Amino acid sequence: MAQGTVQNRESFLNNIAEKLGRERRRSSVEPPTYTKQPQWDIMVDYTTEQLVDVLKEQCTAIHTDVKEATIDELPAVIDDVMKEYGAEKAAVWDDLRFAEFGLTSFMERPDINIWGSAPDEDDIKITEQADVGITFSDYTLAESGTVVLMNGGGKGQSVSLLPTYYIALIPLSTIVPRMSQVTRKIHEEVQAGRRTPSCINFISGPSNSADIELNLVVGVHGPVKASYILIDDL
Amino acid sequence: MPMKIGDHSFDQRVSKGLGETHMRETVRSAQGRLHTNKSKAEEDLGNWEDWRTLSEEIRSHTLENLDYYLEQLSDNVIKNGGHVFFAETAEEANQYVKEVAVKKEAKKIIKSKSMVTEEISMNEALERAGAEVIESDLGEYILQIDDHDPPSHIVAPALHKNKEQIRETFERLKGYDKTSKPEELTQFAREQLRQEFLEADIGITGCNFAVAESGSVSLVTNEGNARLATTIPKTQISVMGMERIVPTWEELDVMVSMLCRSAVGQKLTSYVTGLSGPREEGDLDGPEEFHLVIVDNGRSNILGTAFQSALHCIRCAACINVCPVYRHVGGHSYGSIYPGPIGAVLSPLLEGYDDHKDLPYASSLCAACTDACPVKIPLHEHLIEHRRIIAEEEKKTTRGETYAMKGFSVTSSSPRLFDMATRAAPIMSSPFTKEGTIDKGPGPLKGWTDVRSFPAPEKERFRDWFKSRKKEDS
Amino acid sequence: MKVSLFITCLGDVFYPGVGKDVVELLERYGCEIDFPGEQTCCGQPAYNSGYHKDTKKTAKHMIQTFEHAEYVVTPSGSCAVMFKEYPSLLKDEPRWKQRAEELSAKTYELTQFLYRVLKVNDTEASLQARATYHTSCHMTRLLGETEAPYELLSNVRGLQLKELPNKQNCCGFGGTFAVKMTPISEQMVDEKVEHIEETEAEILIGSDSGCLMNIGGRIDRLNKPVKVMHIAQVLNSREA
Repeated sequence: MAQGTVQNRESFLNNIAEKLGRERRRSSVEPPTYTKQPQWDIMVDYTTEQLVDVLKEQCTAIHTDVKEATIDELPAVIDDVMKEYGAEKAAVWDDLRFAEFGLTSFMERPDINIWGSAPDEDDIKITEQADVGITFSDYTLAESGTVVLMNGGGKGQSVSLLPTYYIALIPLSTIVPRMSQVTRKIHEEVQAGRRTPSCINFISGPSNSADIELNLVVGVHGPVKASYILIDDL
Repeated sequence: MPMKIGDHSFDQRVSKGLGETHMRETVRSAQGRLHTNKSKAEEDLGNWEDWRTLSEEIRSHTLENLDYYLEQLSDNVIKNGGHVFFAETAEEANQYVKEVAVKKEAKKIIKSKSMVTEEISMNEALERAGAEVIESDLGEYILQIDDHDPPSHIVAPALHKNKEQIRETFERLKGYDKTSKPEELTQFAREQLRQEFLEADIGITGCNFAVAESGSVSLVTNEGNARLATTIPKTQISVMGMERIVPTWEELDVMVSMLCRSAVGQKLTSYVTGLSGPREEGDLDGPEEFHLVIVDNGRSNILGTAFQSALHCIRCAACINVCPVYRHVGGHSYGSIYPGPIGAVLSPLLEGYDDHKDLPYASSLCAACTDACPVKIPLHEHLIEHRRIIAEEEKKTTRGETYAMKGFSVTSSSPRLFDMATRAAPIMSSPFTKEGTIDKGPGPLKGWTDVRSFPAPEKERFRDWFKSRKKEDS
Repeated sequence: MKVSLFITCLGDVFYPGVGKDVVELLERYGCEIDFPGEQTCCGQPAYNSGYHKDTKKTAKHMIQTFEHAEYVVTPSGSCAVMFKEYPSLLKDEPRWKQRAEELSAKTYELTQFLYRVLKVNDTEASLQARATYHTSCHMTRLLGETEAPYELLSNVRGLQLKELPNKQNCCGFGGTFAVKMTPISEQMVDEKVEHIEETEAEILIGSDSGCLMNIGGRIDRLNKPVKVMHIAQVLNSREA
């Protein structure tokens, strides 16, 4: 990737330093040790089972259906959800986990578009026409009922966004208490000198809006319904 | 539109606001619901005061080192292959965005919600350059098609409209033929806007928090429009107020947790998205070109002043949602795109007192705002500080008020004068007194007695009673 | 225990009866009441209007007036808060700031003093009535006293206390706000009166004379059958 450009920086930042009444700070600034760090006390000693309970409870608040499956049951459960949605065409990530979780034959169906396989690289258009998008969750946050997607390459951000419905496949091994655990991981990756994925999504259920009289309407620009399938991989 | 809305005086705007029954009903019920939701969110989280302390520490550390973190941010954006433009003024920001639009030969630009682009009137600038600019946030979309009605709330911009008014707008201007059910109205907007997303050449977003350590921009939304605007168009421009930044992803966690809870009582909104530069090699969606515009537009003048903590604001609107004045007058009465307590603090700082000198007085100083603020901005104290500047430095108060306050202070710092004044009070007020109350007060009392009775001073003051009692005792 | 009473300007001139109840209440718990005759007003009207240079004179006068006090007690959350504002008002004058801090530290609102210093939670009062309590903003949010009045009121014999809906909302007083922004203040106090009526209370109780003057003035103007009482009057009520 070619390096980008920056304009007007020096005068802009010099002015800030001047207004703050000191010289420019160019190095050795570190966040302090904050006096309170309540985020680390939340669900700190919860078992996976307890975290799953919290997740399920939260999903009722965010209008998200939860199904549970063993690896063997997974293809049938996905089918059930698709039937409920009346969905035929699906868009999925190009992700090795589909094979690992026994979904190889599911992926070979004709009505499924694997991200990156569309002719003329027109995956956005095909995904937009799909009824349902299916992705794995990279991390799952119990507290907020959130799936975290580290997009990039075969993991197109469109898949969880453009189709009418969304299904997240959640291996139980991905569940953590809250956002803090994931942002810490990202932070550690940055510190190790790795580039952050160009798009990270924290998705908590279907899209919604309360812009009309503060009435909640589920289903706006993103998926109008969402299902999480919890997969026992432990 | 600039920050300032319309040309009416403050009193005219308030009187119009007080007369808008629909708006007031909607706001009243919205405040009720938001109060319940936020209280529940605080309770669910636990240790709310610790979270506020942490948030305040994060914001204050970041602002104290703003030059450092902005430099780090911009270094990382360019490392990721993005472009950064530092804009000291609204004009510079708009000029840059216009140039990008021209270079990209953009016909259609899709926008997700951004207060800073409202503040600098970016849409008008782009439209003048010949591009079609489409707001995609449902609330902003409603306002845009209704002849650019200004927002009245920083999170729910169309809060002043009820569903029937929205239905009527959709019908009149977009050929809508269904009912005023929010579900149907929303579905209609989804259909109208989906095509626009697919055709847009540029997506423009705001930025809830930039993350310095990785050169990222985070967007906190529910509708999914910000995701669409950053997934489909080939070019993405994000515009941020220069203070909207955190050092690392760890601080992002805290600020997003507080923002979602304080704004709408959600644990997280449906979508929290972290975007780090343009698409990477091998990616098939996301923008090919990424621009970050960092806007000052008067903010740096707040640094190093008594108002610096106003820049800690994370635009959650919690202060607006608890404000009893906003509750009755609505957002447009403030005459600024930033209404409510934070608007009354920020608008005069960003645009000066000439247009906004009434705002610091539009508060009973009940401190509900200060109490609600997730980053502990002492909002009501800032309002008092504005009043101090207006009275003592700008000398913009009326002569009557100045004399009254001088007189009051002289009296209350002199026991002799205070004694005389309070002793004389029953005599002075007797011409206005009827059955122990004053119904038509003179001078400054008029405002009071226009709507309330005023008690007549008692013949025997407490101090007289106390003195005579002491005598009796001895 | 010697208690210096700051009666407040409103209390001195308009509501001397409240002061009498305060004196009786405190004396019942063995307090010796001192009333420094030099006292005036806390200066809040000028302070909140932005006239800080002028307020400093008032503040200094009050600091001197109460310098000898062991405890300062006042039947107003708002005026107590103003005393606690003095240190920041006088922050540029270190010696005065020090003296202001001493005053601030020994200042208590009445119910706070009863409950937290004298450890009283039952004043053995009795009052047969349906009532509701208005939590004044400064007392709740700035002084941070949310327990004392409720604890004390809960033990008044015969008093049926019903919670005021939307009690967190300001009544629209706000000092000069009430006269400067009359139309807005009017809407705020009207909504407060509506909620008071919803509780079917016969008595509205409050801890700040400013709020009571505002709400009571509106109730009077609207001819509503609700009586307004300061909490000191309720806590000192003795019915046969």
